[in-house]
Amino acid sequence: MTIHLKIWRQKDRNTPGKLVDYTLDDVNPDMSFLEMLDWLNERLMNEGKEPVEFDHDCREGICGSCNLVLNGMAHGPMPGTAVCQLHMRKYKDGDTIVVEPWRARAFPHIKDLVVDRSSFDRIMAAGGYISINTGAPADANAIPVNKYDADLAFDYAACIGCGACVAACPNSSASLFTGAKIAQLAHLPQGHPERKKRVVKMVDKMAEEGFGDCSNYAECEAVCPAEISITSIAEMRREYVKALSEIE
Amino acid sequence: MSKAATFLNSQVGRKLATGVTGLGLVLFMIVHLLGNLAYFAGPEALNTYSHTLHQLGPLLWVVRMGLLLFFVYHAWLGISIWLERRKARPDKYEVYASRGGASRQSWSSSSMILTGILLLLFVVTHLNTFAFHDFDKVVYGGVEMHDVHSRLSEVFAQPLYTVYYVVIMVLLGMHMRHGVWSAFQSLGWMSRKTNPVIYGIAFVLALIIAAGFIGLPLSIFFELV
Repeated sequence: MTIHLKIWRQKDRNTPGKLVDYTLDDVNPDMSFLEMLDWLNERLMNEGKEPVEFDHDCREGICGSCNLVLNGMAHGPMPGTAVCQLHMRKYKDGDTIVVEPWRARAFPHIKDLVVDRSSFDRIMAAGGYISINTGAPADANAIPVNKYDADLAFDYAACIGCGACVAACPNSSASLFTGAKIAQLAHLPQGHPERKKRVVKMVDKMAEEGFGDCSNYAECEAVCPAEISITSIAEMRREYVKALSEIE
Repeated sequence: MSKAATFLNSQVGRKLATGVTGLGLVLFMIVHLLGNLAYFAGPEALNTYSHTLHQLGPLLWVVRMGLLLFFVYHAWLGISIWLERRKARPDKYEVYASRGGASRQSWSSSSMILTGILLLLFVVTHLNTFAFHDFDKVVYGGVEMHDVHSRLSEVFAQPLYTVYYVVIMVLLGMHMRHGVWSAFQSLGWMSRKTNPVIYGIAFVLALIIAAGFIGLPLSIFFELV
């Protein structure tokens, strides 16, 4: 199949970027989107041209490394799917696909389709952890957790930290990511000792990093490859109100 | 900063305040709409209702000031969140599209800033047309009252004003369609079980309030009452 690509090329943060046209006329429908980009890059390198930089790692939808906006949608058109798991059979022969990086002030641009997502790491470092004594593994069911909380915590824990929520949000808010991390730990007994400090620090860090306010558009939930619900954002807000005593 | 200021300036606090003030304004609109319905009961009922409200004295002023505070704070929060959003994405997408599905991006949610500003301007003209108007006087049982009924009949006999009012009320319905649901989400009251229910209630409430406010001027204009 033939695919027309318009890919965002940008040398570095300080050089203005632009969309560059590429046409691939021998795309195999069984290729993943990233394999098609590999295919393009091999051609470019054979022609002595600079390959397109893009982030990827596991290519099985669990690492959260890939980050492409396809025709204006973070991770492309498939619900619950990271772009590495999107296959070209989803497209029709002759389709044009515009490929852009995540765009947000809190995700500074690096090169082509690669952005710096370390602001997420800093939100995590602010409180997205539990302090426990490591050592021999504990018995699996030594700490009882009821099924309702276990299920919810598991759903929120599915967040792979890819940043699609920010990329798709008209306000560039990181509320879904931060909410998922806070809600996950709030449902587990292990998360309780630092529960109040955690929500205050993570919410404050999120604003400090330059992410926008949430306007409840729910676009984040629509693009999330792990299909995290915006109820995590409601939970984050509840947790924040309960943590009033920790606010300085 | 004090604890309250830190809370209100946080991203959670700002949304919470937007939700609380928004729901307060919705509550006011419900009362206002019920008051308007007195028009259908005739001049004496409406004018007496208006007169009774004015007799509340200091309490009325407390409500008025509270309403003004809620309104201004709600508008300020909305505008500042919108300004913040422009800073949070300095480089725009060449192509942007909603994925649909769980997304609540719609005409209603995407135009909150526009419908909000138009409602803000409307309230100024609305107060000028009614609240600050020098009403004719009417006497019932020896008590002199403002003739609100005749003012309403006079205003909504004008085609242009009636169209303007109806259009603004449609925008109000749109603003509430996203706003009411959004307020519950901002207050953290949403959960898997309540989500679809509250989303539905918001739609019905927006529809009832907009239809209610549109019903009166149209009834007057087409001389149905």
